[in-house]
Amino acid sequence: MGLFNPAFWTFVAAIAGIYAIMALGLYVQFSLAGLPNFGHVAFMAVAAYTMAILVVRYATPLLLAATAGIAASVCLAFIMGLPALRLRSDYLAIATVAGSEIIRYLALNLPDFTGGPIGSIGLLGPGDIATYNHDWQAFLDKAKGVIEPLFGRIASRDLAMAVVVWAAAFALIFIGWVLERSPWGRVLKAIREDETAAMAVGKNIVAFKMQALVLGAILGGLAGLLLAWEIGVFNPDDYQPTLTFYAYLILILGGMNRIWAIPLGSVLFSLLYTGTRFLNFYPLSLFDSGSRAFLRLFLVGLLLVAFMAFRPEGLLGNRHQLLLEK
Amino acid sequence: MLLEVHDLQKSFGGVTAVAGATFSVAEGSITALIGPNGAGKTTVFNLASGFLRADRGAVTFAGERIERWRGDAIARAGLVRAFQAPRVLARMTVIENMMLAGKNQPGERLGAAWFTPRRVARREAAIRKRALELIEVIRLSSLVGALAGTLSGGQRKLLELGRALMVEPRMILLDEPMAGVAPILAEQLLEHIQELRAKRGITVLVIEHDMDVVMSISDQIIVMDEGCVIAEGRPEEIQRSERVIEAYLGRLALAGASA
Amino acid sequence: MLQQLAQLVVNGLITGTILALTGVGATLVFGIQRIANFAHGEYLTFGAYVGLFLNVDARQDLAVATAGAIAATALLALGLHYAVLRPLRRLGLVATSLVTVGIGLMLRDVVFMVAGPNIRQLNINQMVVFDLKLVRISPGQLAAVAMTIVIVPAVAYFLARTPIGKSMRAVADNRDLAAISGVNVDRIGTYVWLLAGGLAGVGGVMFAVVQGTFDPNLGFQVLLLIFTTVVLGGIGSAYGALAAGFILGLAMEVSTWGGFAGGLDPRFKPVLAFLALIGLLLCRPQGLFGKARVL
Repeated sequence: MGLFNPAFWTFVAAIAGIYAIMALGLYVQFSLAGLPNFGHVAFMAVAAYTMAILVVRYATPLLLAATAGIAASVCLAFIMGLPALRLRSDYLAIATVAGSEIIRYLALNLPDFTGGPIGSIGLLGPGDIATYNHDWQAFLDKAKGVIEPLFGRIASRDLAMAVVVWAAAFALIFIGWVLERSPWGRVLKAIREDETAAMAVGKNIVAFKMQALVLGAILGGLAGLLLAWEIGVFNPDDYQPTLTFYAYLILILGGMNRIWAIPLGSVLFSLLYTGTRFLNFYPLSLFDSGSRAFLRLFLVGLLLVAFMAFRPEGLLGNRHQLLLEK
Repeated sequence: MLLEVHDLQKSFGGVTAVAGATFSVAEGSITALIGPNGAGKTTVFNLASGFLRADRGAVTFAGERIERWRGDAIARAGLVRAFQAPRVLARMTVIENMMLAGKNQPGERLGAAWFTPRRVARREAAIRKRALELIEVIRLSSLVGALAGTLSGGQRKLLELGRALMVEPRMILLDEPMAGVAPILAEQLLEHIQELRAKRGITVLVIEHDMDVVMSISDQIIVMDEGCVIAEGRPEEIQRSERVIEAYLGRLALAGASA
Repeated sequence: MLQQLAQLVVNGLITGTILALTGVGATLVFGIQRIANFAHGEYLTFGAYVGLFLNVDARQDLAVATAGAIAATALLALGLHYAVLRPLRRLGLVATSLVTVGIGLMLRDVVFMVAGPNIRQLNINQMVVFDLKLVRISPGQLAAVAMTIVIVPAVAYFLARTPIGKSMRAVADNRDLAAISGVNVDRIGTYVWLLAGGLAGVGGVMFAVVQGTFDPNLGFQVLLLIFTTVVLGGIGSAYGALAAGFILGLAMEVSTWGGFAGGLDPRFKPVLAFLALIGLLLCRPQGLFGKARVL
């Protein structure tokens, strides 16, 4: 794909929007509630698999299957609540990544249930190709009809997807922003600052953290569903811990304590990600497509380290409000 | 009796911090909890306020057994504690610290900001008003917008006191309020402690080492040593008690002790 | 049935050695440097690939390749410590963990880019099998056993008898007490990276020979197993990690034995370890041999 192919840019836009929602979920858990969840990808996996299994095997209507997917993520959040609220931060990081790996291993090794390593295509057993995307594509067609007056000739399903995703992303970020500035957000800020003091003035720490966890799970689940619909297929390897760290990088890029920096972070990240995959100018052309994947991940690692070292407050953040040290 | 502690026990590893403490605090009184270092006083505070789980024993507050309750539940029930080293929320402003502590905030419920915005706004305004009033009482009005982390030690203690008042307590536990505070602020603190009872009817239990302070403001004194309560009574009685003197001085004072 | 058990025990002990040796280095580093090093698995990958280069490309024999891997990985660990980890200590636990994740990603993908994603193997004839009546051992496992016999006693001696080794254990156990007793805690903190790196290097080579084939994802696969070993043995307890490695290796292998109501499906061995890790962190973070610390 060339730099001027509109399909490339709509794809970047859609991915950026989806990643923004994923990062928002992590923001609620990490930046608001101070919970370093290194297993965020599990919410995405659980929602996507639940939805796909229901659609493919039980012909569930899309909206119901999607709701069930999100509900499954919420269940996972409740299961996670048990360790999350009792572990110190670095232990929590390790436990959550172990948890998300357990989920991936189960998805990988229970082929009758999850299609195994082949993923969503294998949900109907060998010999059949399972798809879950038709209802969503139909919805996108309707959405395309809505945006046609605005965009004219270039209106396409892909563009409709990008519009839908970003509309959702901005709406959700706005909701998050209102919450952050409300008394609820104030309690979370206090919990991050000094949990014991917050308890001493009568705040139920456990309940607040649990709420943040559930919110983050809903957002992560939604992101998982959208990503599944955008790509059309998925398999267990799509849900490696690396995805969680993409979300962290997005937060770090924009500024870990600025909710409105999330779109900036996700756009930058998506440019890096899809750019290294699809763009073909020097010096990227030195790498073949296989090696590009490794270059991409190398850059992700490099950015993580570089920003943590030189600009932990991100591009838009405020150094004084940084609440990282724990 | 507003607070009753019965046979409270707590050990850490092999060390017994509290070995069966029993005492009661009358409503509306100012009671001092004194004793040599290591007597278990702060541990008793932690046990009573729900920040530590007792191995054995009972704590009754306003008629309810609270020894199994969590710290935040006990604070909401009206038993509020302050800490030896004040725990202010450093990166929040003084007014934010105060407003955080406001009781019954519908805005703290997750959906409320969205579904009942007017009710939330009304309560916020009321809390802000009360916070500003209390900030004036503790004389930190000039620092309303300052980050709590920039306050001096004595100012932090005042802020903690103000924050405790926001929770509308029936009883406050103060842990060495005078320690490390400049004399001017210490006098102010003392005034505030006395006003707690006089103007607001709040019961006070205070750990304190400064004997002048203790003797001047307390109605009742409880003495602890090595994890147990060894004496309980009015200041005059305690001053004359041989056991107390022995605990502090470590030896029997025979002739000179009795007045 | 019994033969299967015996084979599983042998496999478990050999896997256990890899975990034990790597675990000793990891637990000392975690205990002394107080970080959760998410890049530790990639140190093993690095070691395996240095060994590969020496063994296959430079046609050295396995012993030389292993020695090279140990040295190179030790230097890598030391270099990363000086270049990245020490300057960033001030950031706190979570931020440092994220930094180690970044380092791990970089390391793994440099290996991918330089050495390629193809499955590789060291110069060991994997076709041969030694039949010892009760159990069968592959040449790779034999090589691993040989390394074990040389290295484990050396490490044990180092930890027990040499001043540096004893100081390491002291600092990992009680930093302040060690400092008061005259131990140069900073210098020990540096040496421990050399040890951890070296052990990761040999761990990587052993993993490569035992598994037969490997690719740059090797380290990522073992990272959580290393964490489990460290937590199981008690963070900071070298002997604990040694024991825990064997226990974990044995548990993972033996759990698949038919005698346990059909046994665990071998594909779920890692799940067993991960569940153990979560359980330990929740209920007994000091593991089997660590001290219960007040957090």
